[in-house]
Amino acid sequence: MAAVEAPAAELGLAPARRPWGRKLALYVPAGLVAFVLAGCFLGPLVLPIPAPVGGDVLESALPAFSPGHLLGTDPNGNDILSRILYGGRASLLVTIAVNLIGLFVGGLLGALSGYVGGALDTVIMRVLDVLIAFPSLVLTLAVAQSLGPSLTNTILALAFFSIPAFARVSRAATLGLRELPFMTAAQLCGTPWWRVLLRHVAPNIGPQLITFSMLGMGIVIIIEGALSFLGLGIPAPDPSWGNMVAQGQASLSATPDMVVWPSLALFVSVLAFNLLGEALRTQGSVR
Amino acid sequence: MTVALDRRYRSVPARLFGSPAFRMVGKRLLMAIPIMLGVSVLTFWVLNLIPGNAAQQLLGAEATPEQIRALEAQMGLNEPAVSRYFDWLGGAVTGDLGRSFVSGQDVAGQLGERLTVSAELTGLALIASVALAVPVALLAARRPDGLFDRVSMFVSVSGLSVASYVLALVLVLVFAVRFAVLPAIGYVPFAEDPVENLRGMVLPATAIAVPLFCFYTRFLRGDLVDQLQGQDYIVTAQAKGIGPWQVLLRHAFRNSSFGLITVVGLNLSTLIGSTVIIESIFAIPGLGQLMLQAINTRDVLVVQACVIVFAVVTVLANLITDLLYAVLDPRIRYGSG
Amino acid sequence: MSGERADTLAPPGSGRDAGRALLEVRDLRVRFSRGGRRVHAVNGLSYRLNAGEILAIIGESGSGKSVSARTLMGLLPPSAQVSGSARFEGTELLGMPEREMRGWRGAEIAMVFQDPARSLNPTMRIGAQITEAIRAHSDMSRKQAAARAVELLKLVHLPAAERRFYEYPHQLSGGMRQRVVIAIALAGEPRLLIADEATTALDVTTQAQIMELLLELQQRLGMAIILISHDLGLAASYAKNVVVMYAGRAVEYASAEELFAHVRMPYTQALLGAIPLLEREPHALLPVIPGQPPDPAALPAGCPFRPRCAAATDACLEPPPFEEHEPGHWWACWHPAKDPAEDPARDPGEPGGAHARPVKDGVQG
Repeated sequence: MAAVEAPAAELGLAPARRPWGRKLALYVPAGLVAFVLAGCFLGPLVLPIPAPVGGDVLESALPAFSPGHLLGTDPNGNDILSRILYGGRASLLVTIAVNLIGLFVGGLLGALSGYVGGALDTVIMRVLDVLIAFPSLVLTLAVAQSLGPSLTNTILALAFFSIPAFARVSRAATLGLRELPFMTAAQLCGTPWWRVLLRHVAPNIGPQLITFSMLGMGIVIIIEGALSFLGLGIPAPDPSWGNMVAQGQASLSATPDMVVWPSLALFVSVLAFNLLGEALRTQGSVR
Repeated sequence: MTVALDRRYRSVPARLFGSPAFRMVGKRLLMAIPIMLGVSVLTFWVLNLIPGNAAQQLLGAEATPEQIRALEAQMGLNEPAVSRYFDWLGGAVTGDLGRSFVSGQDVAGQLGERLTVSAELTGLALIASVALAVPVALLAARRPDGLFDRVSMFVSVSGLSVASYVLALVLVLVFAVRFAVLPAIGYVPFAEDPVENLRGMVLPATAIAVPLFCFYTRFLRGDLVDQLQGQDYIVTAQAKGIGPWQVLLRHAFRNSSFGLITVVGLNLSTLIGSTVIIESIFAIPGLGQLMLQAINTRDVLVVQACVIVFAVVTVLANLITDLLYAVLDPRIRYGSG
Repeated sequence: MSGERADTLAPPGSGRDAGRALLEVRDLRVRFSRGGRRVHAVNGLSYRLNAGEILAIIGESGSGKSVSARTLMGLLPPSAQVSGSARFEGTELLGMPEREMRGWRGAEIAMVFQDPARSLNPTMRIGAQITEAIRAHSDMSRKQAAARAVELLKLVHLPAAERRFYEYPHQLSGGMRQRVVIAIALAGEPRLLIADEATTALDVTTQAQIMELLLELQQRLGMAIILISHDLGLAASYAKNVVVMYAGRAVEYASAEELFAHVRMPYTQALLGAIPLLEREPHALLPVIPGQPPDPAALPAGCPFRPRCAAATDACLEPPPFEEHEPGHWWACWHPAKDPAEDPARDPGEPGGAHARPVKDGVQG
């Protein structure tokens, strides 16, 4: 008999959502994400499409639905559909890599900081405070410029700001765990810290970090696009959604298609990841 | 209780300096100093990773190593990075940020001009997004899962998924190219022609404001619904027999507004980041555009100054957020207990 | 008695002293649909409350006591489905349009909640929270309302009322906050005050002070009070009549004296057993009720207390009717307990006296 009961919980005030609605909110974006990933990574292998670079200048700026070029060609005669699929491959590769780096490096730093505490926690948190004081795009631009435009350097530049974000989430989650009985029990048994992190902390903060990374996917796709749009990400002529938009900007009034298709690809992928992250966040067992 | 009484009758300055809010702000200001130092060190370090330095960039690919070395010596680039950093820091504290390698202009003076332009753009975007987000979120939270709620949430999830540079181009395409009602480029200073200045700001400010608006709307709507469905004081208010709008505005929104302030403050760095790209699209001579140009010409001192100004603005914005919070939230204003 | 059997829905209390009924609740049912699950929070609750009386509704967490009270004020989430009847001076409250209901909330029926730390708006001054309640039901000016608010704060014995008027809830102690919540409830001069676990979150001394205040106000203002609690001892000290709820239904109803002298329902008996008493041996284990309250989404067939009841038999698979078995004493049980004096070594497993008539109430006053 609980002395103090939470009236809201007793009254069943949780938002009443029908189960099929919940399933739909999870499976539709999951399907969309699968579609985007399959399109970009398997599409170029399976579909009969030309290479994204080295097109025939005689075929330049063809309109959409031209024979052999479903979405037309750009001024250099490159097939737009092919560039979108290969460009998406680059964008998604960067995004996934950045999130994995953030997840592991940031997650580890945050867990260490939260679990060990003390001076280590202070040092890590102060460094992260400095990184977070930067507007992420500004910092990324500076790093990208320093390193020079390339796929690897884009990943490194973006990882610079994804690590602190993950570290913060991971630290907060670890702090929440630290006082729980099973953690105390593990410590009292003399389990070494790395084993506690691996066996007890990681499985518990994992779901939360993965949900966070889903929400982060959309943001990284957009920022990677911004870098490439400014010429500091994936270097042209290799396609990425960002540099395709930049390329199309030059002839915006004459051939808006050049901007519309990569923009649409960006929008759909970001939307898919955002919806998936949101569904995981609201429906997952962890908040 | 006697303590509370004592506090009440102390003199005004004593109350101000002794107030928990003041102490908190002081603490935050002190904490900002090491953060700013860290920011400058990091910026210096990152920019010195650049393989070719400004001297090489200025002289071009054909320059002989001797020419480059001579210019380096002239620019002071041959000194070790640590001593250059302290030279720079010494100047920066007194407001001297050096001269641009490229244009020879005084960096601090250049920044001042640019800062006002960027401030106008971000200010307009911020005000527009919050001013629109509040009524939309209130209407949505009035009937959760109602038609307006569903439509506005769909719009805001979609809006959050649009990159600001894509939105900017779509806006240009529609309003500048198709209908030609607003200028796509061409910044006019406010002092010269306020109307043209504002007309020129509409599209860039909108491109920045739309994702922000979507973010704030979603946050505020969610927080309002949480308050309405989970907080006991809402039930107390309803039990008084007051109307639903009064419950929503006087009770739920009042409490949600603190969360909104925090979110707006934390989000400012994203807002500042997006000005860089938007200024370059709309050719607005702001700080972001200056920084991009400087990045391309390897004008290290200018890039460094820009990055630091951005960081200072972010830190200040967070500080102001805390201050506002302290002024508005009675629990902090009067301390607890 | 047989004459009254015809109307099985007649709420307890209507048998005798059928004078001025302030509130008459009949067969109240509340159901929530949540994520495809149906949660039966209240399953046919009936009671009657006369003007100026104190009625206690006793039950464990989740027994539906809070939900049934909020139903009266129309403060349930939209997912709730309500049926039955609740007449306040003859006016049906259930199904009343929200706009009309607002005129009753605060003005006729007011409520005091469990946790005063949570039931006041942390960002509004005490004064503003009270004047808001005053002005909701009167056309007083701001100034008049403020004067009235200070009056109310004095009525609830809040020390330094004029100063507290300008303070925020976090500057007050728990007991003082609860006094403020009571002042808000009194703002519309209601005729019924619902105290929903109003003292549960407070420490014992403060609890007693708040209860004394409620009692004083009830006598001074002539309000009726519904005292919702899980504490039978509280009910015994303050209430005239007691409804014991289990799994969303009333299982026993009687005057407080009658109930404690001749408890009939095994659940009530178990509740009484779970109260620590000074007479008990020190360090003796408190008897607890075995098992858990039933899941309101999956209620057992028959008597809901059957799975936890020591006296349960196959007869209990049939739901026992809630009837007036003795004058003024209602219960729903096939195997009511006997008076300890009559049968001190009563074996709970003994199904013998299923319908044996217990002696008529001997102890009165």
